[in-house]
Amino acid sequence: MKRGAPKFNVAPWVLLAPFLVCFGVFFAVPLVQSVGLSMRQTFGPAHSEFVGAANYRNVLIDPLFWKAVRNTIAFTAGSVLIQLPLALLLAMLLNRPGIRGRAIFRAIFFAPVLVGVVFVAMIFGVIFEKRTGLVNQALHSMIGWDLDFPWLQMYVMPALIIASLWQYLGFNMVYFLGALQNVRKELVEASTLDGAGPWQRFRHVIVPQIRPVASFVVLLSIVGSFQIFELPYVLFNGTAGPDNRGLTVVMYLYQMGFDQGDLGYASAVGWLLAVLLMVFALFQRRLAGESKQGVRA
Amino acid sequence: MIDAVIDSIRRWSASLGVLVIALLAIGSSIAVVAIPAKSATGVQMWTFARLHKQMYDPIIADWPAESRPQIALLSHPALERRMLQGFLTSTPTADLIECERRSVGRAFVGPLDSVGFTDMTDRLRSEGLLEQINMPSFGPWSSRGRIFGLPHDVHPVMLGYRADIVEAAGIDVSTIETWDDFVRVLGPLMSEKGPDGKPKRYLLNIWEDKEDLIELLLLQAGGGFFDEQERVRIATPTNARVISTIVTWCRGPGRIAADAADFSASGNQLKADGYVVAAFMPDWMCNVWKNEIPQLSGKIRLMPLPAWTKGGRRTSVWGGTMLGISKTAPDQERLWKIASKLYLSPELARSLYSTGDIITPVRTLWNDPIFSEPDPYFSGQRKGRDYIALAPDVPMRTSSPYNVMAKLRVQTAVISLSAHAQRVGATSVEALEPRAMELLKVAEDQVRAQIERNVFLNTSAERPARGGV
Amino acid sequence: MSEAPKHDRTHWGVYMLLLLGAALTLVPFLWLVCGAFKRNEDFFTSTFLPRGEGFLGIAWSKLTLDNFRTLLDSSGILRSMLNSVFLSSVTAVLATLVCAAAGFALAKHEFRGRRLITAIVLVAVIVPPTLLLAPGYQLLFKLDMLNSFSGLVIPALAPAFGVYLFRQAASSSVPNELIEAARIDGCGELRVFFTVAMPLLRPMAGAFMLITFLGVWNNFINPQIVLQSESKLPLAVAVSQLRGVYYQDYGLQIAGTLASVVPVLALFLLLQREFISGLTSGAVKE
Repeated sequence: MKRGAPKFNVAPWVLLAPFLVCFGVFFAVPLVQSVGLSMRQTFGPAHSEFVGAANYRNVLIDPLFWKAVRNTIAFTAGSVLIQLPLALLLAMLLNRPGIRGRAIFRAIFFAPVLVGVVFVAMIFGVIFEKRTGLVNQALHSMIGWDLDFPWLQMYVMPALIIASLWQYLGFNMVYFLGALQNVRKELVEASTLDGAGPWQRFRHVIVPQIRPVASFVVLLSIVGSFQIFELPYVLFNGTAGPDNRGLTVVMYLYQMGFDQGDLGYASAVGWLLAVLLMVFALFQRRLAGESKQGVRA
Repeated sequence: MIDAVIDSIRRWSASLGVLVIALLAIGSSIAVVAIPAKSATGVQMWTFARLHKQMYDPIIADWPAESRPQIALLSHPALERRMLQGFLTSTPTADLIECERRSVGRAFVGPLDSVGFTDMTDRLRSEGLLEQINMPSFGPWSSRGRIFGLPHDVHPVMLGYRADIVEAAGIDVSTIETWDDFVRVLGPLMSEKGPDGKPKRYLLNIWEDKEDLIELLLLQAGGGFFDEQERVRIATPTNARVISTIVTWCRGPGRIAADAADFSASGNQLKADGYVVAAFMPDWMCNVWKNEIPQLSGKIRLMPLPAWTKGGRRTSVWGGTMLGISKTAPDQERLWKIASKLYLSPELARSLYSTGDIITPVRTLWNDPIFSEPDPYFSGQRKGRDYIALAPDVPMRTSSPYNVMAKLRVQTAVISLSAHAQRVGATSVEALEPRAMELLKVAEDQVRAQIERNVFLNTSAERPARGGV
Repeated sequence: MSEAPKHDRTHWGVYMLLLLGAALTLVPFLWLVCGAFKRNEDFFTSTFLPRGEGFLGIAWSKLTLDNFRTLLDSSGILRSMLNSVFLSSVTAVLATLVCAAAGFALAKHEFRGRRLITAIVLVAVIVPPTLLLAPGYQLLFKLDMLNSFSGLVIPALAPAFGVYLFRQAASSSVPNELIEAARIDGCGELRVFFTVAMPLLRPMAGAFMLITFLGVWNNFINPQIVLQSESKLPLAVAVSQLRGVYYQDYGLQIAGTLASVVPVLALFLLLQREFISGLTSGAVKE
């Protein structure tokens, strides 16, 4: 049987069948259903009433939703702006010629990625305690930091940003390291011979070459940060913390859908989140510039 | 063909990751099939408190096996999650569920006929239990006039204070009747300053973000979040005065409050250090202190809460538990017998107090001599009698499913009011009250919007529940 | 001659920075291991191990295995461990097969609808999974799949991202000539996939399996909402439930955390290279 023959070709459909069935039933169907569901109010999956656009209106006028959006954006901005430059710096240090123990360093930096976010929350819940927590104690003995600094009471988003910095720094570093190792050596050497300083070399030789990967990492970071939920959820025992300082969009969705039982309202929140993410992703692509080789993933 | 299989195994074994995970998949599949999960037999019961399990286990130890519930200990969020999930989706729950006040509202969000607990109202009335049990204790477990659980406790609140520190300063607390008296009489204790120029101790353990304590003080003052018909009533002059007072306690020159968190190692250290002189002590908190801060034994005494006005209420209420029966559980008659036998027995009343320092809600058992025993931790005080004397005055509470939400919105209002106070330098209750009223109005509107959004809460039970999309 | 010492000095600076970073990364791990062996009353009296008279100034006698004993006794943690291994490994193996087959078909077969399906896969990659949380839950309820392993495993078998990865891998590393040759030899299409394509996709398969395993192991929200019975809970949910509200048993929580983290750390150390190449393979286009 030749490829492209007019006869109906069964083989690809057999190979695709398991995927198409699972994807259709558990992705496409719920996705389509969520449009209708977002226009209903439910009490658990068994009771539901049509309410039209009321869910969307109610979400948009709920100050708590906007608080969740602000918190989520703050977390995302903190994560992307602090974590990624640090990850790149770390990768560049590791990528210097002649560094020994590169594999060991890489393994160490990467290890926290393996710790699930629930477990990260368990660890940092104790580490960030006032007075007895590791962070305040260490900072206190080093720089006289306030032992009662209220991480989990007042400075929730900074605490979350630090916890996720610990968790994902190595993850992002691995991507950057991979990209740096693919940077063509002869270009770097040529620019050095041309008398370019370290910064110029970085700006004009290295950055253009790692741009596709960097752009992918930024996108991944934004998408991941936007969906933060487990970290504050476990940290605050299923609540959003004092004054909802740990409330995120997905936690708002979870509280409405699964604590209150209103899956319709939760679906509406889900669509708004999707729109928000789309806006950010487009914005990021704009920023990432016209580079055509930006990775589609 | 066999060659091909062998060949592919040989080639794939080069990929260690694939091999390891494939072996794990095969091994664990066999194990999951071969080791059946322990299937539950007999009456199942969930509780969220280690202490409760410790109290019940000896009591039920000599019950006949078929009526002896098997008690599983779940963390509080887990119990709440699984209870609600079970009720909403008909997946299995325990037959008997101990439910804490802040979770129970979740069960009351939908139509009355979809509440997952068995309605006990008629039975309680016909067996005369409504009269035997302290009335305010039913409040949190009632929705739209029906009662869904047996109360476990009363949880009256007193003020625990460091008798050693107070006496060393020669202060007599018996003259304290109101919160103003409290600040005036104990004020001298704050004169000692630490190296940073701040007082070495503060008078009261409370902070602007402690939503439970805010609710406790609102209820004491006759305020709160809902009226008797469960209509939201947050923006009231009483509430405004209370939250303004709380803010003056926490901020500005009149500060008397500090935050020594409960259930945390750091907070316990602060309490042991005498950083706070007095703390809110519902009966159950006595037990928490005994276990977590044993070094304070003999240094604490209890007094009724200072009132908001002369002659006002000298107690409040904090927390609460009920025992409910899952509506879908088989043999409801037997479950009722087990539940009432466990909860109303004199043995449990004694055990509640001796193991957990908790006062039973069953009024007919209040004469038990155990409540008159002096308690060495509280400097020999007969605290059982003191709590019982306050029990009838405990404020009524509602079970609105929106209570938790209201509490959190009011917490936000208090925190905003505090920020406002710091910004404009307002230091008196009177100066804060107008802004407090505005903030409470915002909170009230938000809660009302959520309640009005709920199309199930007010629908009649006859309305057929329609299916999903 | 003047170059060497300068080079040396910057080298030392780089090492110092790297060591500092490594130390900060490792401290929580060290703290975790120490905490798991401490008694509750010692938990906060010292940062790592309780100080005392013993060797290295540490009170070795105050260390205890009680946390692990309590863990084993009370909370069915062994069952949760089995559940985690089962869910993670079975999902990983099946999802890899499903995605590899689909990705191969999209890359190497010509058929009507191929472009449409490819486009759908690309769109699906960017749909946030949280959007499906509520409707997916309702669907599982209607299919009577709540509180079952199948309700967790089957929906996880068809990640669009996986199909995308295998499509990329197949188009770059499976030469058409090999496929044609196998067909000429009379191989059926399924046989071509298993004996010709799969071996060539091996690096991607290994990496994707590991990523999926890790993802399922650490997933919290899905088992949290789908599963109900204690005996079915995986570690992520079971261990998070050790966190109390009115009572904190720190040692127990930390021991549970340690027990959940160690298996994946061990797996990672064993398979480090595949792991990292797998993670980056999505980003670096061939």
